[in-house]
Amino acid sequence: MVIKHQWIFKTESPWSDANQKMLVLDTGGWRTERPVLDKSLCNYCGLCSLYCPPQCMRDKGDHYEVDLAFCKGCGICAHECPKKALTMKPEGEFTNEG
Amino acid sequence: MKAKKGKISVMMGNVVAANVARLCRPEVVACYPITPQSEVAETMSGFVADGSLDAEIVEVEGENSAMNVCLAASVAGARTFTATSSYGLVYMYDAIMQASGYRAPVVMINVNRETPGIHAVSSGQQDMIATRDAGWVQIIVENNQEIADQLIMCYRLAEDYDIQLPVMLNYDGYYLSYLNEEVEIPEQSDVDAFLAPLKNQPQRPRIIPGAATGCGTHGMEMGYVEARYKHWAAMDRAKKKVDEIDQQFADYFGRSYGGQIEEYRMNDAEIAILASGSAAGTAKTVVDTKREEGIKVGLVKQRLFRPFPEERLIAALKGKKAVGVIDRSVGFGWKYGPMCTELKAIAPSIGNVPILSYIDGLANLDITIPHIGRVVDEVNAAAKGNAYQAVTWIPME
Repeated sequence: MVIKHQWIFKTESPWSDANQKMLVLDTGGWRTERPVLDKSLCNYCGLCSLYCPPQCMRDKGDHYEVDLAFCKGCGICAHECPKKALTMKPEGEFTNEG
Repeated sequence: MKAKKGKISVMMGNVVAANVARLCRPEVVACYPITPQSEVAETMSGFVADGSLDAEIVEVEGENSAMNVCLAASVAGARTFTATSSYGLVYMYDAIMQASGYRAPVVMINVNRETPGIHAVSSGQQDMIATRDAGWVQIIVENNQEIADQLIMCYRLAEDYDIQLPVMLNYDGYYLSYLNEEVEIPEQSDVDAFLAPLKNQPQRPRIIPGAATGCGTHGMEMGYVEARYKHWAAMDRAKKKVDEIDQQFADYFGRSYGGQIEEYRMNDAEIAILASGSAAGTAKTVVDTKREEGIKVGLVKQRLFRPFPEERLIAALKGKKAVGVIDRSVGFGWKYGPMCTELKAIAPSIGNVPILSYIDGLANLDITIPHIGRVVDEVNAAAKGNAYQAVTWIPME
């Protein structure tokens, strides 16, 4: 058998660097709603980031910003936000953003 | 260099397993007790309690946790040990697949026992058969000395950098688990010496606190295919490795088991019996008796069940006039026993000869000398061109 496949894992066992490989799928395309932040309400408590299942909240120093390439739109961040700073909005409102 | 003569004792199979597991210096042990394995778990706990084993014992609430603990400890770099049987083995089914998928070199003893559905607290290989496609190396041994020696070899195999596979060591529940037999237990220094080559190998990847690494989590599309391909290729490599390790064991300790298979009086044999486990010992006695009667019969003891020892079996059985296979389990969906079905898959390479399937020894019913004698006679008759029955459930007749 002639292997044409380009090896994905550097190791014999399927280990990889999570920072590089974990988020390879563009799961953002699965989303029907996205969390939108009202920065005036956010107190930077970090609960949205702690609860986010795929860990796609990015720490911006005074607030958290969702990484839309990976956010599946589950809404847990908005549900857990004690300040109601996050609101889930339908993707249809953002179609012009491409 | 040769090993020193070990201490000779009379020991129960389960206690042998625990004593030798201790000598292999596992760092994490998680066993949930189950008949007929319980003495393994008890004795290991005793060793840690009395200070003769420096290991972390995790007292788990069931076998699923036992395997997950071993898996996690193994990917953190520890040498691990666990033991189970029957219901316990199937209760950890998802976890054993996880372990092999992660290529975690967990070593587990499985004391063969019948499986759920019919509550048989008795011997049989159905548990091992039920997990045969879980990606583990599966080895079956015949007696208490072989439990001791093979367990040491299992660590060499599992943790070998070229292999990196979990290994399941199977021995017959009740027959061996509770059998008191003379056993030579090697010296600690000799077990250390035999396992020492593992220390010279490259370090396998492991969980490092603080580092964002992942294992088994990126199996989408070609990641899955690649991981499975590597696993499949490692299983194939494991066959020769079993033979090599057996040879090195023989050179050092002076005992050999033939590696993937043991051939007994096969050189000039015209017909052959294939058996495994403790029944292979009985079969050797029958082969000797039948030889005296003038029947040129030999025995192939299948030690390596997964990966299937294709090349060795072909070499051993090619040209024989008929083969009888004794299975201690049922192959649901096939007429023949599981080992017989697999042998039939390589039949074209052996020759177009009768292969007779026998189901015997289920639920602690002995595979007796008369039973195997009957198998030899029928295989001998089939070799001479007589009609034969494709499958025989010996206890049902």
